Amino acid sequence: MTKDEMYQKLADAVVDMDEDLVRELSEQAVAEGIDAFEAIDAGLSAGMERAGKLFEEEEYFVPELLMCADAMNAGVEILKPHIQSAQTGQKHKIVIGVIEGDTHDIGKNLVKLMLETSGFEVIDLGRDVPARNFVEEAVAQGAEMIMVSSLMTTTMDAMADVVTELDARGLRGKIKYAVGGGPVSQGFADKIGADGYSKNAADAVRLCQRLLK
Amino acid sequence: MDVFSPKERLLRTLNKQKVERPPVICPGGMMNSAIVDIMNKTGHTLPEGHKTPELMTALATDVMENTGFENFGVPFCMTVEAEVLGSEVNFGSLECEPKIQKEKYPSVDKVDFLPPGMMSKAPRVGTVVDTLYRLSRSNPDIPAIGSLTGPMSTAASLVDPMPFLKQLRRDKENSHKVLDYVSGHLIEYARLIAENGASVISIADPTATGEILGPKMFEEYAVTYINKVVDAIHELGLPVIVHICGKMESVKPQIAMLHGDAISVDAFVSLKGIKREIPDATTMGNLSTILLQFGNPEKVEKTAELLVNDKIDIIAPACGLSTSTPLANIQAFTGTVKGR
Repeated sequence: MTKDEMYQKLADAVVDMDEDLVRELSEQAVAEGIDAFEAIDAGLSAGMERAGKLFEEEEYFVPELLMCADAMNAGVEILKPHIQSAQTGQKHKIVIGVIEGDTHDIGKNLVKLMLETSGFEVIDLGRDVPARNFVEEAVAQGAEMIMVSSLMTTTMDAMADVVTELDARGLRGKIKYAVGGGPVSQGFADKIGADGYSKNAADAVRLCQRLLK
Repeated sequence: MDVFSPKERLLRTLNKQKVERPPVICPGGMMNSAIVDIMNKTGHTLPEGHKTPELMTALATDVMENTGFENFGVPFCMTVEAEVLGSEVNFGSLECEPKIQKEKYPSVDKVDFLPPGMMSKAPRVGTVVDTLYRLSRSNPDIPAIGSLTGPMSTAASLVDPMPFLKQLRRDKENSHKVLDYVSGHLIEYARLIAENGASVISIADPTATGEILGPKMFEEYAVTYINKVVDAIHELGLPVIVHICGKMESVKPQIAMLHGDAISVDAFVSLKGIKREIPDATTMGNLSTILLQFGNPEKVEKTAELLVNDKIDIIAPACGLSTSTPLANIQAFTGTVKGR
């Protein structure tokens, strides 16, 4: 198998949610001396990008996307130890979480996994997180961006508090801030002074790529 | 001029009989309208109001009287069912509704199946049921609505949602077992609600959206188990409102399969479109809760008028209200529908 064929097969197996096949192919890639970094990037990650596209097109839904991610991660686990350290480079760090008062984290988890599969380093603060913690954690970890989600209209107010926190520390614009979640809109993001909004997990990847260019 | 009492009007509407104007309601549960403005005014506050029938009754009455909604709606949250079945609840604060702090189980194959009878023994169920009894006894003309958390959302409050959603595909056998189990307990809770004077039961199932599940999973799980609960409630003699969150394009045929007496939807769904596609559907909704929170009374009135003109059968908020929604906006909403 040429390496391009291998990448194609890895990507297909991710899209097909076939964890076993991804494992098998990843082991084969290692055995054949195919570059592990490229196998992740051009194979698994490319597959995940296609899965994200299918999700946007409503061909795939949340259960399917989660299973694709599981398949990808199964491959990453096998390939990662074989990456030469020089290749990894510095990843953009993003702090993510669900705002205080809200414990719905399906959307946040999807964004996290799409970001991770696209090469971002994601620091997940979990759910029900006070506005202040996002900023403190971003500063402590040297993150370039904060992403906050809310699934309840009742908790949207607290999303504006993150901007206040950033302002208070003179970090507005230095640490980018993006919001998302069911009731959130671009209009709401503009209103509270966030730097961005994304409507779904695939869109979130494009937003981060744009804001952290 | 009103011809029917609020209860007659709502029941007739759910029974597809003619009424002089649509009811304007807010069923409680996910659509809780115990807003901060009201609690500060009357002193009957949350989170205390979740815990005793006296306070729950007082607050539900405050809400009905102040908002102008033509019903009582309890409880004020979506955590009762999952708490009874084992999950940990955080009761929140005045502004912030209760939430599941931690789901009890990591996956569907780990769920302990508690025996029937859990609901009737649970103090929180007792509070809700006792409240419905008091409200319906003292206000025979106002419909008391008991709100249930739907089977998918209850299951996703018992089992960590991420594994749960995957297992809907990967472990169908155990997923069905858990949903069947949850539905059985919901039916038991519904029976207690029905036996204690409620006029209507409302089921909201925010985890069961077309956007999250897609048409196949929505049909296989959400439709199956929501209908199981609805059918059982019908046998108890009560009508059922089913609220489905999110966009619906992907699950339109499945929505038509639901057995509820009215279908309530989110703000961005066209109820006119639903009426066109499912001609015998009784539609409910769908004034934007964002507009209610951030808009002004004039804008709310205009939008409410559109709903009346579109002949929406039951007029209601589109989703859960923010507790910081101004009372004046809600009053503008209900006042417009009632024709002041």
